[in-house]
Amino acid sequence: MEELSREAREVLRRLREAGGTAQPQEWDMDQSAVMRGALALQERGLVEVKEEKRYRLLLTAEGKRCLEVGLPERRILRVADGVTPEEAGRMAGLKREEVQVGVGWLRRKNLVTLEGKLLRLTEKGRSYLGQPMPEEEALLRLRSEPVVDELDALSRELGRRGLLEIREEKRRILSLTEEGWKVRLGPEVEEVSELTPELLSTGRWKTVRFKRYNVLAGVSPTYPAKLHPQQRVIEEVREILIGMGFKEIPSRIVETEFWNFDALFQAQDHPAREIHDTLSLSKPSHGTVPSELVGKVARAHERGVAGSCGWGYRFNPEVSRRLLLCSQTTAATVHFLSSRPSPPVKVFSIGRVFRHEKIDYKHLAEFYQCEGIVMEEGLTLRDMFGYLKEIVNRLGFEKVRFRPSYFPYTEPSAEALVYHEGRGEWIEILGAGMFRPELLIPLGIRYPVLAWGIGLTRLIMLKLGVEDIRMLFSNDLAWLRGS
Amino acid sequence: MPVVTFDLRDFRRLLGREVGTAALLECMDALGMETQIEGEEIRIEVPHNRPDLLSPEGVARMLKGMLGIQTGLPRYRVAAPRVRLHVERSVSLVRPLIVAGVVREVELDEMSLVSLMQTQEKLHETYCRRRRKASIGVYDLDTIHPPIYYRAVRPEEVRFVPLGMEEELNLREILEKHPKGMEYRHLLEGMEFFPLLVDSEGTVLSMPPIVNSEDTKVTVKTKNLFIDVTGLDERTVTNSLKILMCAMAERGFRLESVGLPGGPSPDLSPKRMRIDLKRACQYIGIKLGKAQARRIFRRMRFELSGETVLVPPYRVDVMHEVDLIEELAVGYGYDKLEPAPPRVATIGETHELERLSRRVRGVMIGLGFTEVMNYILTNPRTNFELMGLQGEAVEISNPISQEYTILRTWLLPSLLSTCQRNKLYELPQRFFEVGDVVLPELRGESARTIRKVAAVQVGGNFTQMKAVAESLLRELSLKVEPREGEHPSFMEGRVLKYFRGPEEVGLVGEIHPRVLLNFELGHPVAALEFVLAEHA
Repeated sequence: MEELSREAREVLRRLREAGGTAQPQEWDMDQSAVMRGALALQERGLVEVKEEKRYRLLLTAEGKRCLEVGLPERRILRVADGVTPEEAGRMAGLKREEVQVGVGWLRRKNLVTLEGKLLRLTEKGRSYLGQPMPEEEALLRLRSEPVVDELDALSRELGRRGLLEIREEKRRILSLTEEGWKVRLGPEVEEVSELTPELLSTGRWKTVRFKRYNVLAGVSPTYPAKLHPQQRVIEEVREILIGMGFKEIPSRIVETEFWNFDALFQAQDHPAREIHDTLSLSKPSHGTVPSELVGKVARAHERGVAGSCGWGYRFNPEVSRRLLLCSQTTAATVHFLSSRPSPPVKVFSIGRVFRHEKIDYKHLAEFYQCEGIVMEEGLTLRDMFGYLKEIVNRLGFEKVRFRPSYFPYTEPSAEALVYHEGRGEWIEILGAGMFRPELLIPLGIRYPVLAWGIGLTRLIMLKLGVEDIRMLFSNDLAWLRGS
Repeated sequence: MPVVTFDLRDFRRLLGREVGTAALLECMDALGMETQIEGEEIRIEVPHNRPDLLSPEGVARMLKGMLGIQTGLPRYRVAAPRVRLHVERSVSLVRPLIVAGVVREVELDEMSLVSLMQTQEKLHETYCRRRRKASIGVYDLDTIHPPIYYRAVRPEEVRFVPLGMEEELNLREILEKHPKGMEYRHLLEGMEFFPLLVDSEGTVLSMPPIVNSEDTKVTVKTKNLFIDVTGLDERTVTNSLKILMCAMAERGFRLESVGLPGGPSPDLSPKRMRIDLKRACQYIGIKLGKAQARRIFRRMRFELSGETVLVPPYRVDVMHEVDLIEELAVGYGYDKLEPAPPRVATIGETHELERLSRRVRGVMIGLGFTEVMNYILTNPRTNFELMGLQGEAVEISNPISQEYTILRTWLLPSLLSTCQRNKLYELPQRFFEVGDVVLPELRGESARTIRKVAAVQVGGNFTQMKAVAESLLRELSLKVEPREGEHPSFMEGRVLKYFRGPEEVGLVGEIHPRVLLNFELGHPVAALEFVLAEHA
């Protein structure tokens, strides 16, 4: 037998004293403690807990008055024969409503009838002149305000007439089962709720009894500190790329137009370079650029290199020095290529890029891009598709297809579309291409280079199921916890 | 990317054969151009490098190749000049370049007239860079008495009725009153002379690059066209004319050149480019026979002959052999190119800055701080004023809004904004950010980008935060020297600064009540911020 709580023991003891059955409401014991004990005993099959419903019947003020002066029907009955109800009322000293009630009752019980406008006692009515009616007997009995198990029809009727107040009372009855009589109680043990260092060190934990917890009870929520949801996706992408042998290179925030555009063979009047596309700086406004390289790039723009006809315009080296906020991570890639690494090379960068974009649910002025290149001897367009497919598959998209695209600094160019199961549509996820010779030759690169870029923020939205892009930088605690 | 909308009926007419909508869309997709067909309209996103596709004639020509309706190089016959154009020296300082062409036997209906005007406008907007590099004029040749003169005149000297108006205005007045005048007057700003095209009888054709005259307007009754392109950039000027003339030829109109001082214009002969077919195939990763390659080029409306590719005159995007290689790949079909699995092994590696950042994130999360991410773009009010500071930051010259005019110089202001945003959630709240700040180096004309970490605890105190700071320093094995200090954003006597040599690299303290109230915070906040590393 498991140890019983102190409360359970007490209930058991009292029940035995009471001869096996008792109403615990009558005990001088905290009722919730009684119930905890009783329920614990019931679980072990030692006690049966029954709940009974009873009714206490109390006369209302009106009920008491009727007891003294008589029910309206009685008062009318006394005078009713051969008069109109109004006259009977006057003679009995009743109010109008009382007359209505009284006459109503009398007619319903067939004690009077109406002959024209006059009341007539029936045989039955006449018989009641000398003896009490059942309602009157009931009222007399109710003077003692009895408690009954069941409600009879008469009481209900009196209740409806407002003469009687019926109070429902519940009472519990505890009774010992056979097992309850037989069970042997061991010596009483102290019950504690918490295991304290003192209990541990003194060894008392061996003798006390630990209160059982309701382990199913709810607890208030607690939240772990965690990485920002965007950061988690970024880490995932980084891990994928490193797993594919890509080495990470840093990206920059403040960049010269030279590295952001010129070195990418983007003509100085390219629409993407216009004031409403990038964020340029006024303080500081210009930076330093490698003048020898600027010269080579300028020639590629103006007259072309390696058989290209170039853009055929006057290159302005002053424009190259202008500072802006990096608008494409390709700037970082080209920066890296200018160090003339030898193949094979696989590098990537993840960074924030900036655009002259009004912020709304679809646009941010500042967001993430991820960009990478592969430089290998004999690299082909099919190799490029191979890399893209691998990246996209690892990102969790199984179906991928490629179609032509256009970027000023790659040729051939492509974009990868993935099938998004949830949305049931193809989504552009990656842009890519082989760097143009006009970009590579000035940098001194003589191997084919494939480049790809992921709109990382878009990917983050897809992965997190975010519809409003502004949520990504909202730092709303509920979102951070829930994402 | 520019978006063009064509009348579907006109477009189908140009295709010359019944083509189903699905086949049309599939073909456009294979070419990588986002296309929608809705009702009687077809809407296409045209890449920046393909001004030849800004016209329905151009797109139809391309599709005819892809669909096999008409393949190979389009050959455009240009008849000898009958109209002469004299260029006077006076234009050399205002708008020196001009080319022109004539189109005969024109039959325009409402649809093709609207489409011509639209092509002209789209070219203006995109390829001609809003008429800065070049601008196009189209006239009813039969209203003109050649020869035509291109000259510069004083703005008050000449009057004519500009397109869409009823009264005669002088050139200055046109800039002030005509809608196109107002829109493009910046292109003539500060000029003493304005460019003008007039005929032998003094009838004004146009005032480039602003507006044509009402008298020479093209209508559905027009039988012969005169087209001019003026501008500042030679390639744009000649290419724009080529594109427009070729489009007109696609409608079956007859082309005729115009006699210019430098010879007849335009020259619509194909450009010849060498291609090393073997190398091209290697670059794509496919094997192609000569005949096969020839067929593909024909489909793309080129002609391969021996080692030479003939490039149609409107393909102004073709600059180098790689552009031909792309044509070959697109014509072959991207969907038929089997992706080749990566084969060269290299060693991947996280950048050390990110490795360090990752360690810091690990420590901060271990200490119970939740990561947040804020914009680097901010404003002086948040970055300085609300923090009780004054200072210099990198400034944006063309900000999107007053909210984003500078780059943040430290992280704590954004973190306090984060606290403000989350005011309604229960305390304590612990946030951190690992992110970049940018400091201006005004003397050196540059900026320094610094990776930092900052943390705040709403309902925290100095002691708790100092413990966090020391934990961070210990975990990162950073050797720094703590010194008492003061900082306007913090309470006096409750700031500890950390130094590495002479350089201050971090601080920890309790935020000043004034700052708290500036951020509408009702509880004490303890904060720290440390430099992690400076970027390259």
